Amino acid sequence: MKIILTFFAFAFLLSPACAREESKDKVLDIKKVKSAQGIDAWLVEDHSLPVIAVNFTFKGAGTINDSAEKQGLVRLLSNTMDEGAGDLTSQEFQKALNDSSISLSFSARRDDFGGSLKTLKRHKEKAFALLKLAINQPRFDEEPLERMRQANLARIRNSMGDPDWIAARLFNDIIYEGHPYALNSGGTLSSLPNIKADDLRNFHEKFLTRDRLVVGVTGDITVDELKILLDDVFGALEVKDQKDNFKTIEPQNSGKTFIYNKDIPQSIMSVTLPAMAITDPDYDALRVMNYIFGGGGFGSRLMEEAREKRGLTYGIYSGSAHQNYVDIMKVSTSTKNDSADEMFDIIKAEMTKIASNPVREEELADAKSYLIGSLLLSMTSTDKVSSILTSLQADDRSIDYLDQFERKINAVTAEDIQRVAKRVLTPENMTTIIVGKPAGIEDAIQKDSLPNVE
Amino acid sequence: MKKIFSIICLLAVIQSGGSQAKVFNAETFTLDNGLQVIVVPNHRAPVVTHMVWYKVGAIDEPQGLSGMAHYLEHLLFKGTETLAPGEFSRIVKRLGGNDNAFTGQDYTAYFQSIPKQHLPEMMMMEADRMVNLKVPLDHFALEKKVVLEERRQRTENDPKGLFGEQMRSALFVNHAYGTPVIGWMHEIKEYEWDDIEKFYQSWYAPNNAIVIISGDVTADEVRPMVAKSYGKVKAKELPERLTSTVPPSIGDTVMTLSHPTIHQPTWQNIRLAPSYGQNKTDSLALQVLEEIMSGNATARLYQNLVVDKKRAVSIGLSYSGSARDTGTLSLYGSPAEGVSLDELAVDVQNEIKAVITDGVTEDEVKEAVQRMQDSADYARDSLSGPAMTIGFNIMTGSTLDDIENWPEDISGVTAEDVKRVAALYLNDDKPWRRVSVTGHLIPMKKEDEPVAKMPVEKEAAQ
Repeated sequence: MKIILTFFAFAFLLSPACAREESKDKVLDIKKVKSAQGIDAWLVEDHSLPVIAVNFTFKGAGTINDSAEKQGLVRLLSNTMDEGAGDLTSQEFQKALNDSSISLSFSARRDDFGGSLKTLKRHKEKAFALLKLAINQPRFDEEPLERMRQANLARIRNSMGDPDWIAARLFNDIIYEGHPYALNSGGTLSSLPNIKADDLRNFHEKFLTRDRLVVGVTGDITVDELKILLDDVFGALEVKDQKDNFKTIEPQNSGKTFIYNKDIPQSIMSVTLPAMAITDPDYDALRVMNYIFGGGGFGSRLMEEAREKRGLTYGIYSGSAHQNYVDIMKVSTSTKNDSADEMFDIIKAEMTKIASNPVREEELADAKSYLIGSLLLSMTSTDKVSSILTSLQADDRSIDYLDQFERKINAVTAEDIQRVAKRVLTPENMTTIIVGKPAGIEDAIQKDSLPNVE
Repeated sequence: MKKIFSIICLLAVIQSGGSQAKVFNAETFTLDNGLQVIVVPNHRAPVVTHMVWYKVGAIDEPQGLSGMAHYLEHLLFKGTETLAPGEFSRIVKRLGGNDNAFTGQDYTAYFQSIPKQHLPEMMMMEADRMVNLKVPLDHFALEKKVVLEERRQRTENDPKGLFGEQMRSALFVNHAYGTPVIGWMHEIKEYEWDDIEKFYQSWYAPNNAIVIISGDVTADEVRPMVAKSYGKVKAKELPERLTSTVPPSIGDTVMTLSHPTIHQPTWQNIRLAPSYGQNKTDSLALQVLEEIMSGNATARLYQNLVVDKKRAVSIGLSYSGSARDTGTLSLYGSPAEGVSLDELAVDVQNEIKAVITDGVTEDEVKEAVQRMQDSADYARDSLSGPAMTIGFNIMTGSTLDDIENWPEDISGVTAEDVKRVAALYLNDDKPWRRVSVTGHLIPMKKEDEPVAKMPVEKEAAQ
């Protein structure tokens, strides 16, 4: 919860990191590192800039573990772990970070608990020492806990008029009905006050364990240096090997349409469908299909039909999202209230079209050349690379996954795409959620109140 | 996509590298037709970001045709003599690249990030649309609907968006900066192709543009590519730029919005301040003041009002000095429960007064400068970041040398400078103080009672 304002906000594509040192065939020269105490990490060395980025994830330690009455617990943990540790109070800890321009932050995701550290090489020792403290000895003092609680309450009140935020609340509640994913990971006005320092301590002790940890490191650091630091930072964590016990679900309320009436000129719309997992043999075909359908922005079929041909929207996008216990395909857009039904019809028609006919050869070739050619653009800064290294491990990908990417994408055929489209893009299964005053939408269920906010 | 930066950002002038080193070690040369080319070599991966920045933005629009610069930006994707509508972006994607564009008050910029071997083609295409724009009439009309949807999405769907526009209008009296970059709804609907074409013909020229390439190339590699593409475009005589000045005011403006969708009270106060181009010395001192007051979680405002006194849940000071014309200083915050907006304003004013009266310490300045210099060390850890930073700042009054030497320049700021600019630009006591616009966002009670009984105008709190 720090205020970090830098001009880096501009840099959507940050710097290209690493890549192609010796090994020309490899997208990234990833080294597997194992410390003396057995902590594993993936490392991409890059000595061209004096910057080091560390990214780590505790698998299964995400907001999915929140209870309804303490929604927001894991988020609050992520807000407070850098607010005092060891002998350092909140402000002393923050000052130590600031004085050496060290960025340290923790993040609460649905499935996992993550963290990242970025430092200049000359502050390496101090940066890792502060990380070690935050991971192993967070204080959870009352003052910063209360301050972070108040900041979260203000954030919620501040968002309550935002139609996109409202749509997100409805989305979780409707799509994940009956599952922990339905809760508000940011907490609610009534749940945040229930969370005590001991709750944070208990969660920290129970879930931030060595068996859940994966680490990715990039930048101006060697294998030998990293080995020592890994033991120092993470070596004291316990192994607990607890089993997570959640049920896998499909998106709920299939075939239904929900409207939350709000007096705004433009309706925010989403449609959601079940998708396949990242381990499915058709996952690569799904990626290519999604790019052609609506994932690619300009040039995608949805964008062509809704924006370029009809001027109905500023943007329309499709994308798949893959969590541990659910896989979805989602189309999101917004259009003036009067056009909501027309937009709805376009989305359905495009689903049917791509499922009924093979994509054109040129479309397929363009999609492949984009997905393959732009791969490097997604790893253009030290911290982006370290984050990719962590994601690959968290997803149980092999170390040569990126090197196999081109071959796998190239193997996708027009038939594969049509098969996947038939399997996923089924209008009768859509769950539709609209915020606004949409015209011409029939048989909709009216939602009068917002779940998991108050 | 096609983004707008309507507010010129909180981003201070760039970051810098260690105190002696240049930030980016950029190379630059200028063609005979007046086009400046800047190259920031970065050989970590075989990719480049290619940007062209035009020194024309919303500030240059004729009265009554607001949003035209932004609308033109959209149209640049709608075809040329040789490219069909939408084909530009399709080619970029096919080559494994991403492209987009954005418009601000002072500039319009287009960019692609792409594997380096395609740079020559990007330059040919970008040079082509610098002079050969040709938009089919049906696409001209359709794109207007898109921009109206963009305005609904960005602004009209949230009363806070409209309120922000209204505050800027009140601050920038008699000045183009008071008009939103995207344009007013009723004016977007009005302009015709002839208006836009005239604007395009007037301002899109090599001598009104800068090309920046950051990535896996050198200036020597780039020279022949530039000569073959942009080098073929003829310079133009540019129109005289319209300028106007905000006249002195004697009363402060306080604006209030009480609305059912507002649940968190918020306070904001904006005033004019010199931009970097107008006053380099004061601008640098204001950047350090911003860092000391608001740069991080141990900065003065947060430490004193959020951590120690529990008067606010969020608080900040932001200096926007990157503007072709005048810049702004804003103070903003959300009060803790039980604290009114007026009380919060007094608290903030007291923090400012402490700086004006007692100054800041040498240590505070030293630490702030060090952090700002460190941020320059991080600045090269990016592909497009350097191109963005350089373009944005050159468009708003910096030179390339200013940007490269920023770490050294910022280290010249003293505690006395910081005190002086605080007194000069933030003092609300003196009769010659600067007037400001204050905005109050106030939740509306369920009973629908008028919660806010704010006068339309009042003196700022002491």
